[in-house]
Parts: sequence; C-alpha cells; structure tokens
Amino acid sequence: MASARFSPRAPDPRQAGIGLRTPHFAALAGSRPAVSFLEVHSENYFADGGPALAWLERFREDYAVSLHGVALSLGSVDGLDRGHLDRLARLVSRIEPALISEHLCWSRIGGRNLGELLPLPYSEESLSVVCARVDEAQERLGRRLLVENVSAYLRYRETTIPEGEFVAEVARRTGCGVLLDVNNAYVNAQNHGTDARAFLAAIDPASVGEIHLAGPERTEDGLIDSHGTRVLPEVWALYEETIARLGPVPTLIEWDTNIPALEVLVAEADTATAVLRRASDRGEGAP
Amino acid sequence: MSAGGLRALQEAFARAVLDGDPDPVAAFIEPGGEEAKRRLAIYGRAVTANLVGALRGAHPVVLRLVGDAYFHEAASRYARADPPRSGDLNRFGSGFGAFLEGYEPAAAMPWLADVARLEWACHEASMAGDGEPLDFEALAHVPLEAQGELRFSFHPSVSVVKSAWPILAIWEANQPDREGTPDRDVGEDTVLVWRESGTVRAVALSAREVAFIEALASGLGLDEAAGEPDWDLPAFLEQLASHGVLGAFRREIPGGPPPISP
Repeated sequence: MASARFSPRAPDPRQAGIGLRTPHFAALAGSRPAVSFLEVHSENYFADGGPALAWLERFREDYAVSLHGVALSLGSVDGLDRGHLDRLARLVSRIEPALISEHLCWSRIGGRNLGELLPLPYSEESLSVVCARVDEAQERLGRRLLVENVSAYLRYRETTIPEGEFVAEVARRTGCGVLLDVNNAYVNAQNHGTDARAFLAAIDPASVGEIHLAGPERTEDGLIDSHGTRVLPEVWALYEETIARLGPVPTLIEWDTNIPALEVLVAEADTATAVLRRASDRGEGAP
Repeated sequence: MSAGGLRALQEAFARAVLDGDPDPVAAFIEPGGEEAKRRLAIYGRAVTANLVGALRGAHPVVLRLVGDAYFHEAASRYARADPPRSGDLNRFGSGFGAFLEGYEPAAAMPWLADVARLEWACHEASMAGDGEPLDFEALAHVPLEAQGELRFSFHPSVSVVKSAWPILAIWEANQPDREGTPDRDVGEDTVLVWRESGTVRAVALSAREVAFIEALASGLGLDEAAGEPDWDLPAFLEQLASHGVLGAFRREIPGGPPPISP
C-alpha cells in the first residue's frame, strides 16, 4: 500500500495501552488487540539495527508508541550522558513517538551505572540538579518529556520537600509533563506510612500526560514494585479517584516480570479502559 | 542538605551497592543503623539482579554450561569489578569473556571464556546496523577483467572469533533445541558471526577462509585477498554473498584516484 509520510499517532485517552515486551511480539502482530498505545523501554531499541527495531517499526504502523527510558539518570550530579541522550534522540527521530518519558531518579555516578531506579532525596539541591537535566534533555530532543515518580524503599534524612510537591515543582520549572505512576504512589505510602492521596493531590492535573499502573510484590521488606502481577484493588480505587479528578489520561499497564499471556495483559488494560470510558461519559476532569 | 551533599550521597550509595561498604551511605538514610542497611540491601539485591540479568540475557550458553548459581556468582563478581559504563544494559558484558579467562574457579573450563566471547559477538551482531545490501545486479555488470580489483565491505554485524577450543561445537550443542553434547571435542575453532535476515548465525571457517576475510576487511581487492589460486574462491564468495555477509562493493581504479570531472 502506497502511503504518504508516516504521521505519529496520538493515543486515545479513552483507551488504555500496554507495555510491549519481546515475548508478545508474535502474538501482538497476529491478534492486533484493541489497545491505544504501546510503550517500550527506550534503551532496548538503542541498537543500530536488527530484529527488535524492525518489530517496533512494524508496530508503529498500527499503534501509537511511547518511549519510556529507564537510564537517562535525570538525578545524577554528574550530568547527563551525552552519548545516551544522542541515542535517545536518534530513536525519537526514527520512531516519532507520541510520548517520551523518563524517571525522577538517578542511576549513574563516577562513570558507573547501577542499572536501577535509585531514589533521590527531595531537596532544593536535587530539584536544581533534576531541572537542569530535564531542560537539557527537552532541548536536545526538541520534545516535551514526561517524568515519572518512582517507588522508593528507603527515605533520606536530607528530604525536605514532600514528594508530590517535588514532582509538581519539576514540572512547573521545566514545563515537562508528569507520568503519574499510581502504583508507585501506593507502594511508597504503604512502605513509608505517607499519604498517597496527598501525593496525588499535589500534582497539577494539567501537567499529567500519562498514568502507569502495575502490580507490586508483597515481601518481608514491604511492597516491591516488581511489575509482576495484576494491579491491586487499592490501586484501582486510587486510579478511579485520580481519573475522576483529571479526566481521561493515556493509561498504561506495565508487566515486566512473570510476563503473562498477551490476553491477560490486554484484559488488565480493558479494566483501565472501562474506568476511562466511564469518566469520559460523565465528562469528568479538567476540560 | 548541604550544598554538594548530593554528590557525597550518590558516591557513597555506589560504594555501598558495588563495593560492599554500606557505612558511609547509611548515615544519609532514615533511621540509620541496621535498618538503613537493611533497606540499602534491597537496592543491593536489585542492582545485582539487574546487572546479572543483563549478562544472562547475552550469555545463554555460558549460563546453561555452568548453571544458575555458578553463573550468578561469576556474573555478580564481574559486575562489581567492571560495572556498566553505559546505562543501556544491552551494552553491558563486553568484558565478561576476559573476566572469565582470569576467573580462578573456571580454570577447569578453559574454553568457557571463548564461549562467552562468541556469545558476545552474537549479541553484538543482533544489535548491529542493517547495512547496505550487496547489489547483485551491479556486480553482474562488472567486466570479468575488473573483478579481481573489487573491494568489498561486510555487513555491519560480521565478526570473527578465534579460539584454541571447539567453541562452535559447544555453542551449537547448547542451543535450545540441542541436548548439550558437542559433536566433537577437539578443534581450534575460528567462527564467523553475522546476522542473516534477522537471525544471528555462526559458522566455522578454514584457515584459508579466515585469511581471505581478513585480507578483504583490510581493504585488499579480491585477487590480492585470495592469495594462491589453489582453492575454490568463487564458491566461497558465492556463499558469503548469498548469506548476506558481504555488503557494498566498489571498483578500484588502477593508477590512483579517479580523474576529477571538470
């Protein structure tokens, strides 16, 4: 089929999306389920070529794509890894994603990468470090970045700003959007005895560009954000409240460990879609 | 937090997680003491799991050869000794073969390091660029007398791994559809690795074939690279071309650079 130049799709905010993982490539191409967007970890497509990138280029014909980075390390005092940012920029121009996101965390220091989303102390110093990195990334990519609140399994003595205010302030200072992870908000509240609703209430509804939902693992160390199970009922309740306040926002189900059959993942996304549809029909949220 | 405190925190965190010294960073964490160390240990385990996980993904044959527990120990020691330089963990592991070569507990498996090197070559081949395909039609139009001067490039995924051990036989026997017993237990395998139609392939090369490929890669024309006419170069060239090993070619103009058009 001859077609004009590819134009990037925007996700339908009334229909949820799913995280795209390698075991689902063939099933997804075969069944083409009704989800509004696919999200991938950006770094998994940093290759110069090869089959993974070829699959993604195929899927982008049918679905809006969200690039979700795990390693730009917006909170590193060392500054951004320019090579990493260049590879992300190359992927952005190749895929023309509808959304681009990164985490509000750090993972790199002294040239060593720890391969994990490490929490920041929520302080004035962290705020200025993160905002400088977000500015640099947005400038290099020529696109608005969404930044995601992370799960944290420890708290720093140096934290002086409530997490919700920290996230909101990053968005206010840099003009970036927020990727609101409702499960992370719940995990942190459970693990640290804080208030998930206060966190969510601190975020400016107009700044939220995407929502993440996932299932955590219950361990003797508390809840761990493993993305390995269904979304908890308590998190669905928080999500419904959030959507009632924000109106329909592109919502993604993440599932990264114990990856189930594609149908299970799509059924979970359908549950989120039902919430989005109800809110849309009621005309909820900011116009 | 005092100015510059974030750097001290991050450096101390990395020391705790990678170098096993949790004391400096524990002072930054509520409520300090043993509870802080217990919480840090969650991150220590997560970092190890992520870095070892990346190495597992790139080295399925080494993993199968040594088993889970052994692999985890070797990989986590490597990860702490030589942590990722890039945040893209798909690029982490280029030195795992060299690490295994000096890894005392693996001394009884002298071929293990080269198997890891072969797997890394395969891993890199899977991520290499798509390259420019060989233009068979243009090749067919090169006059016979000019063919010996042709210079070829290779597909970006191509590499050669040399070993004093039968690493290809070991690698083949430990693919998912095989039960693990190599077809032979001797050999000094030289393996050509490349990606063909999205699939990474590995085949053994003869000494003559390796010499030819290396000569071609160094920029020599076909005739010079071929050496003595005592082997079936056309057949080998046909194999390389039909399986996507060769990329673009160019004709060398005898006597220096081509004249510049006015």
